[in-house]
Amino acid sequence: MPRETFQQELDRLVEEVVELGREVESCLDTMVEVLQSHDAGVAGRELGVDSRYKERGAEIDEECMVLQARQAPVARDLRLIYTVQAVTNHLVRAGTLCEHIYRAVSETADAERDPDLDTALFEMSRGARDLFREGLNIFEARDIDRARSLEAEDDKVDLLYSEAMNLAVNPGKEGAGSPEWRVRAALTVHYLERIADHGVDIGGRTVFLVTGERMESAMRQYRDRKLDQYDD
Amino acid sequence: MSEVSGERSGVGRDQGGQASTVPKTSALGMKIEDLSAYYGSFKAVTNVSLEIQPNRVTALIGPSGCGKSTFIRCLNRMHEVIPTAYAEGCVKLGDQDIYAKDTDPVTIRRRIGMVFQKPNPFSKSIYENVAWGARINGYKGDMDELVERSLKRAALWDEVKDKLKKSGLDLSGGQQQRLVIARTLAVEPEVILMDEPASALDPVSTQKIEDTMQELKERYTVVIVTHNMQQAARISDYTGFFYIENMGDPGRLWEFDETTKIFSSPSRKETEDYVTGRFG
Repeated sequence: MPRETFQQELDRLVEEVVELGREVESCLDTMVEVLQSHDAGVAGRELGVDSRYKERGAEIDEECMVLQARQAPVARDLRLIYTVQAVTNHLVRAGTLCEHIYRAVSETADAERDPDLDTALFEMSRGARDLFREGLNIFEARDIDRARSLEAEDDKVDLLYSEAMNLAVNPGKEGAGSPEWRVRAALTVHYLERIADHGVDIGGRTVFLVTGERMESAMRQYRDRKLDQYDD
Repeated sequence: MSEVSGERSGVGRDQGGQASTVPKTSALGMKIEDLSAYYGSFKAVTNVSLEIQPNRVTALIGPSGCGKSTFIRCLNRMHEVIPTAYAEGCVKLGDQDIYAKDTDPVTIRRRIGMVFQKPNPFSKSIYENVAWGARINGYKGDMDELVERSLKRAALWDEVKDKLKKSGLDLSGGQQQRLVIARTLAVEPEVILMDEPASALDPVSTQKIEDTMQELKERYTVVIVTHNMQQAARISDYTGFFYIENMGDPGRLWEFDETTKIFSSPSRKETEDYVTGRFG
């Protein structure tokens, strides 16, 4: 096949992105564990993990720029490089949010917690982690049918977000947790919602990679197609 | 010499190709319907239909032998100059059918100029190269002004204004190609067809030709055949991909769309394979 070397470079680039994604996913797994265990030791050991992700992200970004300069990619090659850069950005930012959560857990491990809000945080962390993992799986498999269900999954996380925020701003009279913990908990709710959004965006970028269409446009066409089939 | 006007006012022509004094500021487009081209019994191009937008650059790309050059030569009736070659279908410049029985092919070739791969200036002075076509077409205006305006539009004036009496053959390849473009512009065509106009030029000359094309589309409709995909991506507004599905078949217009679409997310796999270099 012509441009074999270029194709190998693109394949390697995708492998590097997926590898970085799996590292961040593993970081999110640990995050879910510490949100349940409140183990300050584990959370403390993970601090600084995001600098490694940022470094890898910068390396991938540079590889993309070199490929654009040397190979003048167009069409699917251009979409792939554009998507790799965008997905890498989502991975790095999810990793940074995870780092923020580790810090919150390590610095408030001994603080009094609201058990209801604490449970909501744990549930939300699992939802956010699962959405991120699904986005990454979709990117790796280029499975855009699964990407179309991401929005519905994100709605569940958004519902948890509303419930958790409601608990954060409307504490009960007893067992509401220390003020410092409540502030960190509210921020964590926000971080988790953002991690979930990064997962959804990775799926959306994959739709663009495969079809050349933006997620919204692709979803509209998908819905229209279903309606047409129903009418027939 | 007088200052160049922003309006077209050279050997202006009306829809019928007759000399007109009415200055024009925009060009005509072309409409092609079911065009097929033959060399004797061999069908080289089949059933091409597309609209070429006025004042835009349309690029035609595709592998060698797929009929791009044959097609573009049908657009100004140059194809039929080859013995046994002929075309079927309808080609309109504006509302005029250029293959109608009462249409003079010489007039059509004046209104739809052509620039070839290899520069072909006459062995005359730079001035005469530009003035010649207008003169034999009966141009009665200020010839100095016409030559200056044509050379400026071809982005060559600054390089030759002090040596207009020197032979056009003394110029570099890139300058010769721009001289040929100036010669084409001097008879005020509606459309300029370019068949790989920069393929024999160095990168600097190529860049000047590309810059020239961007300026030309302000006043003319431009169609270019190119093997340089990056060139098509850089300069054109619309791109047509010609393709032969099976060996021995005639060439077809496989996909036609805005250039941004063709080079970002083409609709057909063969187009994507070609523009990404995965062809073959």
